[in-house]
Amino acid sequence: MNSADVFVGLANYKELFQDKVFLGALKNTLIIVVVSVPITCVFSLWVSSVIVDLKGWATSLFRIVFYLPVVTGSVAVTVVWKWMFNNYYGIFNYLGTKTGIIDQNINWLGDERYALACIILILLTTSVGQPIVLYVSALGNVDASLVEAANVDGATSLQAFWKIKWPQIMPTTLYIVVITTINSFQCFALIQLLTSGGPNHSTDTIMYYIYYSAFKLYRYGYGDAMGVVLAIMIAILSAIQFKFGNSND
Amino acid sequence: MKKKVLATLLVGAMAASLLAGCGTTVETTGSSDTTTAPEKTQTTETAEAGEAGGSDVSADITLWTYPIGEWGNAETVDSLIQDFNKEYPGINVTVEYLDYTNGDDQVNTAIEGGQAPDLIMEGPERLVANWGAKGLMVDLSDILDDTDKSEIYESVLSACVNKEGATYEYPLCMTAHCMAINKTVFEEADAMQYVDAENHTWTTDDFFKAMDAVYAHTGQTVGAVYCSGQGGDQGTRALINNLYGGTFTDADHTKYTADSAENVKAIQALVDSKAIGFDASIAGGDEINLFRQGVLNVAFCWNIAQQLNADNNDAGLTNDGDEILFMAFPSEKATDTKLCGGIWGFGVFDNKDANKIEASKLFIKYMADSAEGTPDAVLSSTYFPVRDTVEGKDLTGLYGDVQTMSEYSTLMQYLGDYYQVTPGWAEARTAWWNMLQQVGSGADVQTAVDEFVGTANAAAAN
Repeated sequence: MNSADVFVGLANYKELFQDKVFLGALKNTLIIVVVSVPITCVFSLWVSSVIVDLKGWATSLFRIVFYLPVVTGSVAVTVVWKWMFNNYYGIFNYLGTKTGIIDQNINWLGDERYALACIILILLTTSVGQPIVLYVSALGNVDASLVEAANVDGATSLQAFWKIKWPQIMPTTLYIVVITTINSFQCFALIQLLTSGGPNHSTDTIMYYIYYSAFKLYRYGYGDAMGVVLAIMIAILSAIQFKFGNSND
Repeated sequence: MKKKVLATLLVGAMAASLLAGCGTTVETTGSSDTTTAPEKTQTTETAEAGEAGGSDVSADITLWTYPIGEWGNAETVDSLIQDFNKEYPGINVTVEYLDYTNGDDQVNTAIEGGQAPDLIMEGPERLVANWGAKGLMVDLSDILDDTDKSEIYESVLSACVNKEGATYEYPLCMTAHCMAINKTVFEEADAMQYVDAENHTWTTDDFFKAMDAVYAHTGQTVGAVYCSGQGGDQGTRALINNLYGGTFTDADHTKYTADSAENVKAIQALVDSKAIGFDASIAGGDEINLFRQGVLNVAFCWNIAQQLNADNNDAGLTNDGDEILFMAFPSEKATDTKLCGGIWGFGVFDNKDANKIEASKLFIKYMADSAEGTPDAVLSSTYFPVRDTVEGKDLTGLYGDVQTMSEYSTLMQYLGDYYQVTPGWAEARTAWWNMLQQVGSGADVQTAVDEFVGTANAAAAN
């Protein structure tokens, strides 16, 4: 039906690592992973630590609030964010100019200096919900008698957390790190709906570039090759994370 | 031991599958000739049978349609199909509605999965230059008889036929894409003096004077060279090509010529204009919304369907009630403007099912080439017919005394070359908005345009 049945050996892989757009997409993907994974884990652990000791209804309320963006469709989420980031009437520009933080409207999603940061910010809001629910559950299962004993022995809150709670929530942390890493590597919908990889390829990720190559440029084999590279990267990173997690047992 | 052998075999198979890369540079044009030729004879017989009655044909066919006027509205299309079924009760048509953001992806995914629709409604840039060139479409030359050839405008027909003479689109309707201004704001800014409102034209000099006047009045960006994607890209192409008489491709549609001095000058003039911004966060649809909301006072993505749109206010008014005036793109002499045309019609995917191809052709003949079906089919598109008569029936008075339509028809004289059939079109479109993003980010215009033309011509040569 098309030209996808021509065997080209390793040509696609060879081309891949000479393709500036792919290398840029790889760099952007790694930036997203490196920035969003630690922030997601630390922020969700901090929020969970705070809300786990609240009254039952308050804990549930916060869990709902943070989980809401996860269950909301990505299209709805991006429509709202797109409105907030709008160059002409977005609320960020409105507040920024009213308070004097910025002199003139900033084209947040249309300026390569800001676009990737905006994507990461949105990604964070949709990523923290699940870890918070998991951490609240994990922290709730920590043996309270051990914490009380430590307190009686004069341990500080930080010491009690680090020496008692942290080891017990380590499996949950490992799971969250792996899942968040994979999700960050696979960031696609936000890019597709908000920037289409622009401006000037500044928000291209590997997932988006796979889609772009296969369905915009009709280079299915090239897209496949990128998919293989992405899978290998995720597998290696996951293995390292598991190894690191197990060594801390 | 057996487990080890099995594991080794599995790993080997997986490794081999990784190496089995697929190329994209070899064309398979031969398949077009070999697959469509046998259908020709068969469908000629069917078409003749159809004209003689043909109501005994029985088939389930699928139609995928882009939002071409009301052809994107299920209620309208259902009504058209009901009329069709009165004549052809045995043909069951299932419709799927596409949009211009994801439609191409849906079609290409379907093609890859062997699930392409039987019928598709769109323009020559997809049906002829893309899917037709890949040998995926059925040649419709057999249902294009001498009467049709004499009735359909030559410029339209030539866009629907490839260089080898195969007809991959049977045209139904057409329009000229244009731009629009917020007349109310222009009047407030005393900028209407630069506009020939009666003929809907203006010169390049007057255009920039008007932009400056409105900018001085509002203090805001007047128009945006949108470039977040390919949606509405005909507007940015027409704007740039017209300002100083540039062209997008050569006359033979073999190569891209957007790197000419005229085009570079035009892009540089837009970059230098304070009133116009390059916006990589919006595409054509977003620009239209911003224009309707009164945020922008000029829209480069406009046509008659937009002018007649009454979703948020009466047709011809912005959401706030300002008057909208459609305009040809500015050019040096004003009357030498060349507007991008839109031609829409039907194509048939070669799904190797003679019965379905037969039924699809009957559907096309009814909708696009019959005195009974064509008038309603064209009216549903909200565009203009591609012929003055259909099987002898007069179509010139199709819109009766709808003033906007007759006024808009004055732009049809400015219809330019239908260059969207140039090889490598899909890649060129993508490279175009990427080029505009580069320029908007501060890249040197000549360098960015040279890169664009290099990419587009490389795609055209493949």
